[in-house]
Formats: sequence, C-alpha cells, structure tokens
Amino acid sequence: MKMIEQSFCTVKKTLCPFCSFGCEFGIIFDDFGLKGIEYIHDGSSEGRLCPRGSAAVLYLDHPRRLSMPLKNGKVYDWQKITKELKKAFEHPKKVAVTFDRNITIEEYQSIVSFCEKAGVENIASTYFEPEAFLKQFLSKPFSIDSIGNANMIIVLGDPFNQSPMISQSLINWKLSNRNHRLVVIDSINSHTAVYASDFLRVKVGTEPLVFCALAREGLNGIDIPAVTGISASVIKDISQNFKNAAHGFIIAVLPFGHTYDALFLAESMARLSTFSGKQVVPFVEFSGFEGNQHFGSVVDLVKKKKIKHIINFGELFPYYYPQFHKNLKAVDMVSTSPLKFNTFTTLPGALNLEKSGTIFTTFGKKHIPGTITPASGVRTVDEILTLVSEVRGTGKSLKAPEMKIDTMERARKLIERSIQAKKKRSLTLIGEKIAYNFLGLFEKERMKMNPMDAHELGLLENDVVSVTSKDGEVDIVVKLTTDVAQGIVAVPPETPDIKGLFDFEIDSGVVNFIPTEVELCRKG
Amino acid sequence: MQKRIVLDLDLCCGCRSCEAACKAAFKGEARIRHGDVTGEAYLPLACKHCKEPLCLASCPVEAIRKDEETGLVIRSSQVCIGCQSCAFACPFGVIDAPLIRHVSQKCSLCNDRKDGPRCVAACSSGALQFLSEEEIEKVEIGMRMVSKDAFFRRKA
Repeated sequence: MKMIEQSFCTVKKTLCPFCSFGCEFGIIFDDFGLKGIEYIHDGSSEGRLCPRGSAAVLYLDHPRRLSMPLKNGKVYDWQKITKELKKAFEHPKKVAVTFDRNITIEEYQSIVSFCEKAGVENIASTYFEPEAFLKQFLSKPFSIDSIGNANMIIVLGDPFNQSPMISQSLINWKLSNRNHRLVVIDSINSHTAVYASDFLRVKVGTEPLVFCALAREGLNGIDIPAVTGISASVIKDISQNFKNAAHGFIIAVLPFGHTYDALFLAESMARLSTFSGKQVVPFVEFSGFEGNQHFGSVVDLVKKKKIKHIINFGELFPYYYPQFHKNLKAVDMVSTSPLKFNTFTTLPGALNLEKSGTIFTTFGKKHIPGTITPASGVRTVDEILTLVSEVRGTGKSLKAPEMKIDTMERARKLIERSIQAKKKRSLTLIGEKIAYNFLGLFEKERMKMNPMDAHELGLLENDVVSVTSKDGEVDIVVKLTTDVAQGIVAVPPETPDIKGLFDFEIDSGVVNFIPTEVELCRKG
Repeated sequence: MQKRIVLDLDLCCGCRSCEAACKAAFKGEARIRHGDVTGEAYLPLACKHCKEPLCLASCPVEAIRKDEETGLVIRSSQVCIGCQSCAFACPFGVIDAPLIRHVSQKCSLCNDRKDGPRCVAACSSGALQFLSEEEIEKVEIGMRMVSKDAFFRRKA
C-alpha cells in the first residue's frame, strides 16, 4: 500500500472529549476531508487512545450525522424554528431548559446566563448516567503518577473497560511489587478483577453496604455478609489494611443500570474516604452540570401542565431514554443532537470535539483547542441561543437542591430489593460499561449470560433472544460466560434500544436507572 | 528482520483499543481482532506474516503475495474475489471470515503509516509492541504474571 504522504495531509491536534481522561490525538485531513486518526506520541497519553477516541473519526463522519433541523423526522426550517422558540420564550415560566452531556463549561455558563436574562425558572440536568453522582470527587485533581506511591487501591467497577487509559499505570503498579494490594468490588467478574489481589464479587446493587462496612459505619441489625455475599473477616481485613496503608486510592466507575442506589453508593465511598483518609478518584464519560432543580421536578410540572416547552442542549436526552417519551407527549420538545432521530424537533448540534472550550477531567480542567471545523449545518449552543436573544453573558454555576441521606433507611431499602429479587427468581438485567461499544459505533451490544441460566432456557452461544422489560423489547445476541452470576444478565447500555429496557426511579427528584427484571425468549 | 507485533499478556486489559483503531482506520475492517481463548483469556489476534503463509497458498487468484524485502504478507483488495479461502486456511484464525466491501480482512502492519501499526500506537495499556527479533529476545514479555502464579487468575 502506498505510504500516506504527510505533505498532502493536515494533522489537527485536539483533545478527546469522550471521557474524563482527556487524551490528546490528531485528526488527519486531506483534500477530500477526514482521513483518520493520528496517535501523537508526545501527547498527554503518549499516543495511546481507547476505543472512544478512535471512534471520533466514525462519529464526526457518521452517515446519520444531522445537518438540518428535523421535526418528527422531516426536514424543518431554521426560520420556523427561530419563530417557534421566540414564541415559546414569550412565556418563560412555561419553558424548561435542560442539558445533558456534550457541552463545554463555557456553553453551560452561557445557557445559565441566557436563562437568567430570559426569566426561565426551570433549569435541570438530563444527564442520567449514575456517574453524575461521582462529580463531587472531581473537584480534587489527581495525578496519574501518584498511583506509583500507593500501597493499596480499592476499585469499584471495571475501569479497564470504562476508562482503559488507566490500565497501564494500574497493572504496572500491581505487578511491580508483590505487596501491592488491589481490591476490586463488582457484581461482574471483569477485566480489572482479573488483576485483583482480592475480588469482592458482591450481589447486585449491594456495593454501598460493602463500602459502609469498610468505613465501619454502624448498620445495626443488618447482616452484611448475608446480604452482600462478602464475609465479615474479609471486610474487616481490607478495612484495617486500607486505613493503615500509607498511600492509597479509591478508584470508582459507575455504569448505567448497574446499582439500585447510586446516590447512596457515592455517599458510602465518601464515608470510606473520610474513614481511611484516601482520595476517591472517579473515571467518568462526562462530568454532568447541575441545574437549579432536579429533572423530577420538571416531570412533575409537565404532568401538571405547567410546562409547555422543553429545550435540551446535549447529545442523549430524550432520544436515548425512550422511557420518558410518554411523559413528553404533552410538551413541545426541542433538542440538539449530533445524529438524526425521527422523533421530536431535533437541531443539528456540534460535537464537543468540534468546539473550542473547557471540560472537566479527572486531572483538572482541560481545553479543547477547537481545531476541528464543525460539520456542515451544525450550530453551537451559543448560535442556537442567539436565535432567541442577542444578549449574551456568563452565568454562575447552579446548585440543585441537596439530597439528604438516611443511611439506615437506604440500607434497609436495598436489602428489601435484594430479598424480593431472590424470591422472584427472575433474570435481572444490569448495565456493564464497555468502551468498545461506545454509542454502538463499532459493533452491536451482546448480552452476557451465565451458562446455567442459558441451559435452563435452552439457549446457546450466539443465539438471538428477545429481551422484554416493562419499558421495552429488543433482540440481542447471547454471549455465555461465568463472569456473570446466575440470575443476572449484563449488557452495555449504549444505544437507545438497550437503554430503553431499564427501569428508572425518581428519587427525591433525581432520575436513577436501576437493575431491571427481564424475560428472555429465543428468536427463530 | 522486519518488526512484528508482539503481545505482552501481562498488560493486555481486554479493552479492544487495538481493534477500534484498526476499524477506524480501515473503514470498519477489523484486521486485528479479539478472540476468546476457550473462555479463559481475551486477546488480540493479528496476522503473524508467516514465512510460508497458507493464506497465500490457498488464494485462487493470487491476491495475496509475500513481499521478499519486508517479509509482509499483503492482500490486494483489487484482486481479491472474496472467496474466504484465506480465512479458512489461516492456522491462527486471524483473517476474519465475514467480508467487508467484498474482500477478506487482512493485516498489512499499517504499511501506509511510517510510525508503525495503529493498533500498537493506540494500545491503551501498552500490551502491544512493535519489535524486531533482536528486541523481542531482550525484553521480558508475559513473565511477571506467570512468575507470580497469577496468570491463572485469568480464569473466571
């Protein structure tokens, strides 16, 4: 094959905005447009790039990339959109402005300022990924080199799949000294768990109880070993050693639909952090922004018909959460999206990759240089806001009402759920974050299932099954593995169809997607 | 001796960054891919560029040739008729049988890129390395876990 002649190509350096690692990479352009990714050896990640970063080239140039506004799937006019938006903002109290991910800090501040000036009272986050609860831990920046000083690290979840760029440091640290102790807590046997000195395979959703026990929180009357599946002696040993360790970290990743009470889980990690004096280091796809209220309050106002219009800035809402669509029938829903969807009014939005702005990362704030020209027809948040009002400004960060945690009450609720799930003997669907499945850009999701469950249902590897939950139905290929316990099926929730299977609860106004009962039926 | 892709089992975290880099570069064609080794390990598999390649011997239209200078086994997408003979002949199973744009998927060690294969550059854990035969002999690859009896923890 002919070598790419660099003189005909331009490599534009940029920052990967698809997770909180913030890797640098280059995008190669030639006269015909986008050519590929360049891995920059002198960049922050030494050229290394996880599947999300490599997906950038597929995402920027996606066949479903939106370049014109759509209304219910049909091409719509910017002038008509402008007219409708202006009319909606004549009654700002009947408008809710929301945002999920794929917006920069500057854009968030711009939205807040716009709402203040326009008189919009209902501002909420629609970023429903449970990792949003880990945002509080991002305020303390972390240096990857400090892993080398640790004696003991406790990991929640599977960072090798959620944020693979951490893997090299973590594996090198683990293998460099026989005394380095890596404790992994998860309900699935993951790639990270393979390297663990101690793998605490907890029962689904009981992670907060393990963290509370490690922090020696008094949970009177609760039999932690029976509920979580982890023996008291193991918990005592880890708790003591972690407190005594000179240096250590709690590394946390939290997939969608993986646990019943993400808020309680974040709180329990904070308590372990206080107890042990060790920092919690979260790895997330995006650090969510806060509104002045939780989305649950907006849903209530929609039900009372007090809100007529919702304008969402971002990437996911409402398309990736079909469970909400029935609640949105009564409102005029306008949302920005990089991809085409055939419902609601969709405005072509730029990807963070195509913007100049700042994002939160695990290592502090980082700047996206804005070297990539936005795709044809897309508009930035500022450009869309300018359609309604020319007045621009920078607003201060908002704070949603704080949620109070009653540890005992939450612990008891978790136990009740655990007992109920055991009695029903049905299959529970949980989410498992896999970087390679990022938004389904590389391949379709497969469902992990225990071979014993498959045997009972007469299923074989690679069979296609119809998965039915209360909210949705989807056909998916089965992958048999003992990585998941009996009674559990796991799937990477990356596409609207799969996310649509999960139940959600509105807990003190906050939307929380939880492990869900499903039924399987073999196709064909 | 030309450089070859070497996998350090100690470091592979199974994230499939290599496969993603390959797919992104070759428009959906995964020339390196992950294989499930009897349920015990999940590893990237790439073309070994064999000295006596069976894929070359099996190709009915001579779409695969061995470059004498570099030792690379290269498939011409213009000549390939997509019969999948190479996929069935490969003793390592690294040529994926499903066809992309009517041709088989065959690794060329990214000979269009001067800095070496993209999968190696992208590898998030540094498990994939691009080394010459002399370099391979000098580095310890896959030794640490085995020496600690921990390799067997790869089992579920």
